[in-house]
Amino acid sequence: MLTAPPGTADDAIAALLGDPAIGRMIVAHRIVEPRAPRLAPWPETIDPRVVAALRARGIEAPYTHQAATFEAVTAGRNAVVVTPTASGKTLCYNLPVLDGIAKDEAARALYLFPTKALAADQLVELRALADAARIGLKTHTYDGDTPASIRSVVRAAGQVVITNPDMLHAAILPHHTKWFKLFENLRYVVIDELHTYRGLFGSHVANVIRRLRRICNHYGADPIFICASATIANPRELAERVIEAPVDLIDDNGAPSGRKHIIIVNPPVANEELGIRSSALLTGQRLAERLIGSGVQTIAFSRSRTSVEVLTSYLRETFAPPPGHPHAIRGYRGGYLPNERHEIEAGLRDGRVRGVVATNALELGIDIGSLDAAISIGYPGTIASTWQQMGRSGRRSGTSLGALVCSSAPIDQFLATHPEYLFDASPEHGLINPDNLHVLLNHLRASTFELPVPATERFGIAETPTLLEVLQEDGWIRRADDRYYWSHENFPASDFSLRSGAPENVVIIDTSGDRNRVLGEVDLFAAPLLVHEKAIYIHQGVQHHVDRLDWEERKAYVTRTDVDYYTDADLGITLKVLEVLEEADPPPAGLRQRGEVMVAWKVTMFKKLKYHTHENVGWGSISIPEQEMHTTATWLVPPAVVVNRYDRDTLDGALIGLARIARTTGALLLMCDPRDLGVLAQVQSPFTGRPTLYLYDATPGGVGLTERLFTLVDDLLRASRQAVESCPCADGCPACVGPAIEVGARGKTTVVELLAALS
Amino acid sequence: MLPARSLADRIASARTLAVAAPGAAASAEDRLARLARWFDARTDHAQGGTVLVVERSVAVPHGTAEALSGLPSGAYFDTETTGLSTGAGTVIFLAGIARVVGDRIHARQYLLPDFPYEPPLLRAVAGDLAASPRIVTYNGRGFDLPMLAARLTFHGLFREQAALPQAHDDLLPDARRLFRRPLGGARLADVESGVLGVRRSSDCPGSEVPTRYFGYLRGGSPDILAEVLDHNFQDIVSLALLEAELCRLRSGAWRHARVLDPRGMALELLRAGAVDDALELVEAAQSTAADPAEANALRRVASRLLIALGQVDRAEALWQLGTRRASVDAAAAWIEVARIRERHRGDLAGAMAATAAASRVLDVAFALGRGGSMVEVGRTRLTVERRLRRLRRWLAAADRRRERAERRRVAVA
Repeated sequence: MLTAPPGTADDAIAALLGDPAIGRMIVAHRIVEPRAPRLAPWPETIDPRVVAALRARGIEAPYTHQAATFEAVTAGRNAVVVTPTASGKTLCYNLPVLDGIAKDEAARALYLFPTKALAADQLVELRALADAARIGLKTHTYDGDTPASIRSVVRAAGQVVITNPDMLHAAILPHHTKWFKLFENLRYVVIDELHTYRGLFGSHVANVIRRLRRICNHYGADPIFICASATIANPRELAERVIEAPVDLIDDNGAPSGRKHIIIVNPPVANEELGIRSSALLTGQRLAERLIGSGVQTIAFSRSRTSVEVLTSYLRETFAPPPGHPHAIRGYRGGYLPNERHEIEAGLRDGRVRGVVATNALELGIDIGSLDAAISIGYPGTIASTWQQMGRSGRRSGTSLGALVCSSAPIDQFLATHPEYLFDASPEHGLINPDNLHVLLNHLRASTFELPVPATERFGIAETPTLLEVLQEDGWIRRADDRYYWSHENFPASDFSLRSGAPENVVIIDTSGDRNRVLGEVDLFAAPLLVHEKAIYIHQGVQHHVDRLDWEERKAYVTRTDVDYYTDADLGITLKVLEVLEEADPPPAGLRQRGEVMVAWKVTMFKKLKYHTHENVGWGSISIPEQEMHTTATWLVPPAVVVNRYDRDTLDGALIGLARIARTTGALLLMCDPRDLGVLAQVQSPFTGRPTLYLYDATPGGVGLTERLFTLVDDLLRASRQAVESCPCADGCPACVGPAIEVGARGKTTVVELLAALS
Repeated sequence: MLPARSLADRIASARTLAVAAPGAAASAEDRLARLARWFDARTDHAQGGTVLVVERSVAVPHGTAEALSGLPSGAYFDTETTGLSTGAGTVIFLAGIARVVGDRIHARQYLLPDFPYEPPLLRAVAGDLAASPRIVTYNGRGFDLPMLAARLTFHGLFREQAALPQAHDDLLPDARRLFRRPLGGARLADVESGVLGVRRSSDCPGSEVPTRYFGYLRGGSPDILAEVLDHNFQDIVSLALLEAELCRLRSGAWRHARVLDPRGMALELLRAGAVDDALELVEAAQSTAADPAEANALRRVASRLLIALGQVDRAEALWQLGTRRASVDAAAAWIEVARIRERHRGDLAGAMAATAAASRVLDVAFALGRGGSMVEVGRTRLTVERRLRRLRRWLAAADRRRERAERRRVAVA
């Protein structure tokens, strides 16, 4: 019923784009012209068995980027490959690795993937290739799923060890003596999905690489690094920061592609007054039904697991198969079993599955071949993710479609009105700060455990000797003659995790029923406000009373209730500037600085407010410990002449609005989750003595967000102003500065004036 | 985790500290000299670096050498380390090697004055071990030998690693099998006090060992290592005594051993092919076992053996011994009797009688409050009931078959 003859997709996509009902919602439409393949001859030095195997699989010659990578790495240079999804990126590294092992079976390679699923996927692909080339390749994944019985075999004999950074950190490097065969002969280190190693996680990974390098040196190896990344603004810079060595950038994509339409769809306004738009999910569903119904193989991405399930069931109703036939519509998200996932992947490749609804689990390089259409429902959070998702569609020939359906969220609406930020503005930067002291100190400890550190050695930063003194003072390490030795009973790599620095969430547990069930989560920052003890927490319109908040365990226990009041807690955030590191030069009208700050937040009391009348019917105290962190910030102070025009209330409201829009656009510019960027507006800052907007890195120690933001302040102000000015609302809505009830009647105009004054 | 606030301050203060107190700690060379004087240790310069060796010797009980005479001579080996993980940052700071020579044990303890002296220490230890055909350890398979291998690999001492003796006997599994149940544990200290009759005058708990070494490194007196050296010395001496004891037990001393797990010993004997000895051991043990559950466990071993040898009568008699006093264990013994009659004699009626007896005994035991835990009684009750039902069914079926056969005979007639 849902199979389609070739050429159908071209017609169906043209029909969809020509439909006025759809056309009304399309706010931007670009066409990417088709491209012919560009091939290169096989490198002369490559092992003939490898060439024969690839020819047998229908690959007559490599694409230019594959050949270029081979040339670079076999000449001893590191490389980063940046080409779109399904352009044969995997072969870029499998080619030199397999060739190296074909020529010298003692050679070893280490593959790093961010997830176990990707590692498992790559294992299958690499094995198939090695078998076809008749190279008896010993390779296996080494992670939490690896059976204990084969671990020692992998350690001693694995020629290609496929793992993840976490495993390298906690299990491989600290036990390197068991892995000396690998390290001694390590020829290549492959880091795929490099763009995922940004922010705090990336900062950790860069330090794991520092440790890896020390161990390789110890065993006399000097591996070449081959990185692969999705499109980001600074792939070479990110690669060079992660591996701390020069790399060749290989971004000349030789893979062919057909014509591709890219559209941004904004659902119509449903409620003029509140500025609420029709649901992105339902709009996405409409598009998917049209496409699948006319034979176009389609993937839809949705942000949450629940919405994946909802959309899957809607589409299954529409395309119910005849009894006894398997569904052609599948859901795909984290939490599915490996077998089920493999079956869906295979179904997509061979065309049995006509539509799939996925979370971003499919965004990373799982091999599902290419589809006709990809629909992102809601902005996935970063421009790179958006392109990754849209990259899931795109045939080598024939037409394909990529669509972004905007939700009502501020950032989505900003993109709907400013599509150039998606199409033209430079994509985001992958930012990391391997020298974040919290991160670096932990890895320096782990590295000293692995290998004594000469007093003159540099671990990332010039101040290493000072840090070593600090660790000695704390009793972790000890100097003897000219080296520092690990001198503690603990095992340092088990003290910290590469991903834990990300803000933890508090889990909300409903104890009303027979069995406890998880209601949802709130992030650590919001938890004191929303789920303090005795709070009324509203979930899906149902009131819940918070009976107990276990702060240590990050759990809030609630029961269903029905009361006529709600609670409102006062969050006190204080920010203290510790040191000014940089100032705008020449100074703008106001003040623009960057430096180190201490952010502390505490919730001390809450009020019970009656519905409708907002009458105060009680209060209580909250005993949640103050949270604080040392991080970096950029702050802006508007000139006094402008500020003095407003009364206190107007200014108060406008600063709230300013903070909100700055966070939205700041996160967009920095390619980070808005939660990673903290904002605080103070009417009278103790440090500057004037109204001040602080933007801070919400990770202890910072990962470099505000440092970059400092250089982008002008872009930030311009984008924010555009966003506010072009928002169709009258005096503020959730999509721009926030509703007038929060920012005041003159809030929106005042924000625009302040933004202008700051520029 | 490091506190967030004070990092900048701490780095600043560390910076001044570094300037204020350069080289406050003694050099590694000074430590070596001090340590050598303190422990009256020999310094050896033969290994491409200096090694500190403490030599000790002690008389052993008469007959030790004789008991060990059947084995290739062993190097009794034990290490003290800076941590329990076998990761690359854990170091062997003390390695003891003992050998039995005549009526004395001679030991050499290699002590690490400071981290930079590790390579010569490892070379010396590996060289010393290589002089024996066999290494003997306590939990060496899990810890000491992988640890030594890791350290040798770390320093690239592959030739030394290859020269280590291939034969290795880890006494921990034997000790576990023979002594864990009666002693309630199988740490070397348990075995020493319970089996070897060794009393340690002073000892340093294992968990404290790394702390002491770090304390010494951070400027503490070498004296805090004295107990660690004693501890290590005692360990390797006990290791030799234990191996001698194991040899004696295997060659007949089990008959009058004071502390011994008969089940474990029986397994040892079986493995050595001494079936009659094994049987003798368990039959004797079950008759004297204070705990009826333990006696039943022993009977189980013995009865399996007897049945395998075709001595079904003797197996049944063994279980009958356990049915005397009404208890859950007696019921369990009756069930075994029933099982033997049913499976090995084909005597369904006898099995039925035994099962009925089990049921009765269980009732009495319950009435007398000798039931043990409710769970245990319940479980036994279920077993009994199931067996009763099955036997009734089978008996009834046998009756029907007999009747049919009877009728057929009548009809034919």
